[in-house]
Amino acid sequence: MEFFLLVVFPILMAVVVFLLQQEDFKKIILLLTSSVHLFVTIVLWKNPHDFQLNSFLGFDAASQLVLTFISILFFVVSIYLIGYLKEKKRGADKVFMVCLLCLLAGMTLVTMSRHMGLLWIAIASTTLLSAPLINHDRTPQSIEATWKYLLISSLGIALGLLGTLFLAISATPIKTIFLGDILNNAAFLSPSWLKLSVIFLLVGYGTKMGLAPMHTWKPDAYGEAPPPVGALMSGALTGCAFLAIFRVAQICFHAHLQEFVSPIFVLLGILSLGIAAIFILGQKDFHRMLGYSSVEHMGILVLGLGLGGTAIWASLFHLVNNAFAKGLIFLVAGNLYQNFRSKKVENIQAAVHKLPITGIFLIVGLLVITGFPPFGIFYSELLILKEAIMTQRYVLVFFYLLFLSVIFFGYAKIILGMALGKAPDNTARETQKETFFMIVPLVILIVILFFSGVLVPNSLYNLIDQATALLGER
Amino acid sequence: MWLEIALILIIFLGIIILGNNHLGSMIQLFALQSFFLSATPLLIHPGPHAIIMMIVTIILKVFLIPSLLFWAIRHVSIRREVQPLIGYGKTLILGGFLIGVSFLISSKLDLPLKETSNLLVPSAFSIVMIGFLLLVSRFKAITQVIGYLVMENGIFLFALLLLDKTPLLVEMGILLDIFVGALVMGIVINHINQEFGSASTINLTNLRD
Repeated sequence: MEFFLLVVFPILMAVVVFLLQQEDFKKIILLLTSSVHLFVTIVLWKNPHDFQLNSFLGFDAASQLVLTFISILFFVVSIYLIGYLKEKKRGADKVFMVCLLCLLAGMTLVTMSRHMGLLWIAIASTTLLSAPLINHDRTPQSIEATWKYLLISSLGIALGLLGTLFLAISATPIKTIFLGDILNNAAFLSPSWLKLSVIFLLVGYGTKMGLAPMHTWKPDAYGEAPPPVGALMSGALTGCAFLAIFRVAQICFHAHLQEFVSPIFVLLGILSLGIAAIFILGQKDFHRMLGYSSVEHMGILVLGLGLGGTAIWASLFHLVNNAFAKGLIFLVAGNLYQNFRSKKVENIQAAVHKLPITGIFLIVGLLVITGFPPFGIFYSELLILKEAIMTQRYVLVFFYLLFLSVIFFGYAKIILGMALGKAPDNTARETQKETFFMIVPLVILIVILFFSGVLVPNSLYNLIDQATALLGER
Repeated sequence: MWLEIALILIIFLGIIILGNNHLGSMIQLFALQSFFLSATPLLIHPGPHAIIMMIVTIILKVFLIPSLLFWAIRHVSIRREVQPLIGYGKTLILGGFLIGVSFLISSKLDLPLKETSNLLVPSAFSIVMIGFLLLVSRFKAITQVIGYLVMENGIFLFALLLLDKTPLLVEMGILLDIFVGALVMGIVINHINQEFGSASTINLTNLRD
């Protein structure tokens, strides 16, 4: 039943959208599907977090965490799309809607997979379904971005498949690659093949997640994708890829390969932070800057995994807050783009005067995403810093603080310039009004960010605790 | 015996694709390679599982994907690779070197399961590396896709080691994903043709920092 409502129902609705002719009806279906998905996800919270549907599908605390924020983010984006798609009338909307609904099913399947092969299939399907979404505008730039995304991601995913096969070879004594069986019998895995498999899986799923040095598709894809798609990709899709990386970490930790895998995580993490710091500074395109910002936050996530201890908890907490923060800032970028018709930082000026509500949300978004207190990202970044100091990795601490402050400086310069700035004298071009559908999603997201980061409910605390315990630390 | 012959043919075809510069014949060579590939499951583990794999592979990789690629380049006038990143002679020498490396790596790895043929792992590595080389050394979008597909053929050979342990459902899912991947790439190549007037990725240089 859960499987039907969460995965099959969106696909059925995609078929309906494909066959329908009326434009408005499609948006209602999109909203209906995302509401059903969100409702089922919330009902699932009443169950214990650990339950299996069959040998291939099931939930644990980590997958429930990821599923929850995917579902909320998708719901918010589908509200936003009602206004966004009305604004640009195009024939390509049908393909867009179909891919969007199937993408929801694909992302849900990622969270439900309990078999490493099925996990790979689900991740690969999300890559293919998101490519047409990037190409929605059909400009030369967006075609270029789509091609780079497709090629680099497919290559990464192919390496991930090779890694999955190596994992299966290393699991020869166990005879299956069901996640539960592997974790229970991790001691029987052949270590040399497991190490080889982990490297390939990290490169593969790391490409999908956008970790440096496999991040090169990210600024292009996020820069050219329609902003609501950017919100979904940087919030939900990277969460799916992180879940895959989390599964790899789970297997490694159970097989006592922590000493082998942790330095790789730390290296990838700090490298991503460094790359993001270099390219955010002086970035001229707002959307590309958000792409590098995503590289930064992915780096923080794996850095937390690599440090271990409380940093793992912080990393999962960061995952949730990053998803909503990215959703917020991308939708703000969408409002700005619809009004100023440009992604270039220099063309966007005095947003607070022209679009008062969006302008204020832009500044709030800056505070959220750079980790200003009291928001959740501040807390998780602090916890990761604390863990690095406690384990006496002072060189790491130095670079972590250096990169974060450079990134903060880069952000603040760009965003404050856009929000405040001088209003140009020629106010000949009429500013558009901020519509209902442009503002409501932002309000919902800021309320959620408040509850996921500031006044955290106990149930979320417990869920993250349980997800952390899955790694077998502590 | 027959398995070894099939594997050697698959590697040979990989090398021929590497030295070719005509888009049409590259697609045909890929289809031929996939045809020999489709026979391998039956030669390793004869049974209903292998027969289903063979039929699906022939339908997808020998017929559907090549015709899709031909569809994608139907309007392309220049059907040759204009200027590869690395020259053809050098690519071939590099390909031969990579095959040697594959055999060296394979001799160092000891498999925890019994092998049907000691040629299987080295040829799988070789095909993956040839595909990768093709992918990174050419500019035509269609050649890059063929490189990706050749690489997937190599991964398919690896998967044969585990044929009796992988659920059929998962294998079918993987093949379906690869097919949809080729489909989406074909459609995007079509867009590149329409927008830039050629299927060369040399034109794709607008986005940079």
